[in-house]
Amino acid sequence: MGLWESFLNWLRSLFFKQEMELSLVGLQNAGKTSLVNVIATGGYSEDMIPTVGFNMRKVTKGSVTIKLWDLGGQRRFRSMWERYCRGVSAILYVVDAADRDGIPISRSELHDLLSKHTLSGIPLLVLGNKIDKSEALSKQALVDQLGLEQIKDREVCCYMISCKDSVNIDVVIDWLIKHSKTAK
Amino acid sequence: MAQPLVKKDDDRDDEAEYSPFLGIEKGAVLQEARVFNDPQLDPRRCSQVITKLLYLLNQGETFTKIEATEVFFAVTKLFQSRDIGLRRMVYLMIKELSPSADEVIIVTSSLMKDMNSKTDMYRANAIRVLCRITDGTLLTQIERYLKQAIVDKNPVVASAALVSGIHLLQTNPEIVKRWSNEVQEAVQSRAALVQFHALALLHQIRQNDRLAVSKLVTSLTRGTVRSPLAQCLLIRYASQVIHESGNTQTGERPFYDYLESCLRHKAEMVIFEAARAITELSGVTSRELTPAITVLQLFLSSSKPVLRFAAVRTLNKVAMTHPMAVTNCNIDMESLISDQNRSIATLAITTLLKTGNESSVDRLMKQITNFMSDIADEFKIVVVEAIRSLCLKFPLKYRSLMNFLSNILREEGGFEYKKAIVDSIVLLIRDIPDAKESGLFHLCEFIEDCEFTYLSTQILHFLGNEGPKTSDPSKYIRYIYNRVILENATVRASAVSTLAKFGAMVDSLKPRIFVLLRRCLFDSDDEVRDRATLYLNMLAGDGIVGETGKDVKEFLFGSLNVPLGNLETSLKNYEPSEEPFDINSVPKDVKAQPLAEKKAPGKKPTGLGAAPTGPTSTVDAYEKLLSSIPEFAGFGKLFKSSAPVELTEAETEYAVNVVKHIYDGHVVFQYNCTNTVPEQLLENVSVVVDASEAEEFSEVVSKHLRSLPYDSPGHTFVAFEKPEGVAFGKFSNVLRFIVKEVDTSTGEAEEEGVEDEYQLEDLDVVAADYMLKVGVSNFKNAWDSMGDDCERVDEYGLGVRESLAEAVNAVINILGMQPCEGTEVVPSNSRSHTCLLSGVFIGNVKVLVRLSFGIDGPKQVAMKLAVRSEDPAVSDTIHEIVASG
Repeated sequence: MGLWESFLNWLRSLFFKQEMELSLVGLQNAGKTSLVNVIATGGYSEDMIPTVGFNMRKVTKGSVTIKLWDLGGQRRFRSMWERYCRGVSAILYVVDAADRDGIPISRSELHDLLSKHTLSGIPLLVLGNKIDKSEALSKQALVDQLGLEQIKDREVCCYMISCKDSVNIDVVIDWLIKHSKTAK
Repeated sequence: MAQPLVKKDDDRDDEAEYSPFLGIEKGAVLQEARVFNDPQLDPRRCSQVITKLLYLLNQGETFTKIEATEVFFAVTKLFQSRDIGLRRMVYLMIKELSPSADEVIIVTSSLMKDMNSKTDMYRANAIRVLCRITDGTLLTQIERYLKQAIVDKNPVVASAALVSGIHLLQTNPEIVKRWSNEVQEAVQSRAALVQFHALALLHQIRQNDRLAVSKLVTSLTRGTVRSPLAQCLLIRYASQVIHESGNTQTGERPFYDYLESCLRHKAEMVIFEAARAITELSGVTSRELTPAITVLQLFLSSSKPVLRFAAVRTLNKVAMTHPMAVTNCNIDMESLISDQNRSIATLAITTLLKTGNESSVDRLMKQITNFMSDIADEFKIVVVEAIRSLCLKFPLKYRSLMNFLSNILREEGGFEYKKAIVDSIVLLIRDIPDAKESGLFHLCEFIEDCEFTYLSTQILHFLGNEGPKTSDPSKYIRYIYNRVILENATVRASAVSTLAKFGAMVDSLKPRIFVLLRRCLFDSDDEVRDRATLYLNMLAGDGIVGETGKDVKEFLFGSLNVPLGNLETSLKNYEPSEEPFDINSVPKDVKAQPLAEKKAPGKKPTGLGAAPTGPTSTVDAYEKLLSSIPEFAGFGKLFKSSAPVELTEAETEYAVNVVKHIYDGHVVFQYNCTNTVPEQLLENVSVVVDASEAEEFSEVVSKHLRSLPYDSPGHTFVAFEKPEGVAFGKFSNVLRFIVKEVDTSTGEAEEEGVEDEYQLEDLDVVAADYMLKVGVSNFKNAWDSMGDDCERVDEYGLGVRESLAEAVNAVINILGMQPCEGTEVVPSNSRSHTCLLSGVFIGNVKVLVRLSFGIDGPKQVAMKLAVRSEDPAVSDTIHEIVASG
């Protein structure tokens, strides 16, 4: 990073001060790392390797700099999600909408996570991924099965997306940018 | 704490007034660590906090599980920063904290990303951290990257991967071994450090394959190694190959030329390493030593203390085996006595003591006296030990040396130091008869003011044994009785025993001893009173304990014939009852035996890995072991036990060595076997000996070993009858056993076993087995007092020999006798040499030998052998041995 550029960045940050921190969680193979790639570069790849631990990405969209904590979804990492969700602007919960057997587990992990008092009040965005597949649930079914109606203590939103076909990604980014303003 | 050091440095006086870490506390630093969670990171601040945390950890501060976990996760959040300095601190912190395996895995993905990053610093450090935290399954995933990293252009990255390989070889050898090709390529690297690490790893990969190591050394010694560090390693590996190739006196030693050429290397480190390697060669000749000694001598006058130290330390070791080779350096060494560095000075002194000749002793002693007060106890002990051996070498100088010892005995000093002095004096009294009276007197003076109970009792015991035999025993009584009045109960009790010994030995003192012992009856301590009563009754000859004077002396001076450890256990197990404790019921077995024979059912065989290897060092231990075996009880007294002879190559399935025990009419072979295969349990182990090439021997007993589990040594014995006196022969050995498979996970052995055999190397019984190495302190006196009644003189031609020293060594080895007065060392370039040997031949016949050697131009060696002994037949036998050898 050149000196001039960093100087500009610093100027920019003085004027806009739009920076946000997000955590991406959800069961393994839900499409978290793919979503990060789509948001950051727009690219999509079929063969991904499971995330061992976490990936840290910084993405700049318009005048907003987003810090993304992309966490591994395997069982051994789930107890550590909470540590990386503390103090973030929003939690993104990614669900594989086509994996009907996994939904109940996904539901209990989500409610476990939200019950942590350190995370109270943090807005939640639930993303039903893989709607390109025919067996994917509808939005209403997903909301019902995850029990999103029962969450009262925070703002909850749900979108159905497809990383593969880039469906609704722009909506997600809009939502994020909107929350970066409110977060500051 | 760094202040006194800094103060000396005037230039930096202002800026370094205080340490940044002065008075920091864990609690406060942990509070500060919250900055890791700030949304806007301050890399500089974060780095400082990590430095403090690392400082605390290195000072031995411990974090609780919760604290460590908190800090660890906070640190992982710093991966968001792109600051290179901070990232480096993050790596260090993860390595230092490395919490439980299930948590540390969270950084894996980030490290893998860094490992493939464009920044070299990230790549190198990420590799090191990742290898630290990784497990086998993950390693296979990243193996590809590591192999690439080994041949990376950047030396830092390559080194990191190589060093990680060295660590991983411990846990995942099969994976690391697959990297051989890449490592080999890295050995050719131009970067010094990469070459060094690559060589180390390559050697570790191959270390169990002797041929491969030899090939590696051969190819590299031809000169592609540039890095001095790698060169040093190579020298070490080369000397290892030399060592393993077996030492032959004839022919060129492999790689010696290489070592010698390294003495002319640019780097001092390499020169020193090569010089040291040469001095440590087994059976090094003086011709081989000379160039090494020359460079070490140059180092002695170097301006760098570390070189002076290294050189003097090495020369000190050489002086033990080749005192003549070091004498050239004596002048340089003497100037080092006043060296500022006390370690260098001490080593210089002790080396001089070893190499010095009789005339320089007095001068040296004067110099040492001046410097003794300046050095620490541990160095003083080294000096005392050097003086002890000097005194044994030059018995005529005992007066000044004994004076020196008694002087330092009076000065301040700790227990170990005083003990070393007392031990030395005791040894001198034993070996130099002239020194006895003055030595005992010094010891008496010492116990008048001795704060160590252990030393007092030891000296009193010794006084009791030696005092009565002196010309005027009465003068010691006063010192001993003073102990009864002045000291603590333990010392009083031993003083009473010592008095009794004087009473038993010296009839003229008996009445006076009686008076003193009666006074002891009023002592406040039970033990002291009991002893006094016992001795009074014994000496009075009331017939309660012993009737004759002989019994009394036996009781006072005889030794206990059971191992103390066993006696203690038996006494602990003894329950008070009508039946008195019977000392004959104490097992005479030495401990190692039951341990080695014990089966280990249901227990992992590795659990026994720590089992002691049994008594192998001293004749005493052998004697106890053998006398515990009923079959050997009738063989009489053990004459000699040889040093263990290896019958197998190193690193074979079963390691076997043999100890030859010589009796008057019998020979017992003790085979010490070790099973090195974890998957096997051996049962019914025995050695089948074929004695067809040893006609005079006939087998009488073979004692097999019931079971031999993994890694716990056991013994099996074979006994032969032989004619009285000397008999030679060659024996071939086969190890026979039943092998059973063991499941290493459970430690259970299978029921069914298979009979098997294992060929061992042959074994010879030679002349040296019948000779005990016993030195005499003054050869001339001993020679003259032996008289020429049984002297036999003859001359021999030894044919063409490499050198005089080699011929001398060969004759000493054949006879197995003790060289006296340092005459086994042949000065280089001398044309003739006289060597003095002493020993005790089987049948307890003292033998003295004087060998005169001469060498002529074409290396023909002639020898004149003069033997004196107490028995003319033995003198003849010695000649026969030499003639046939």
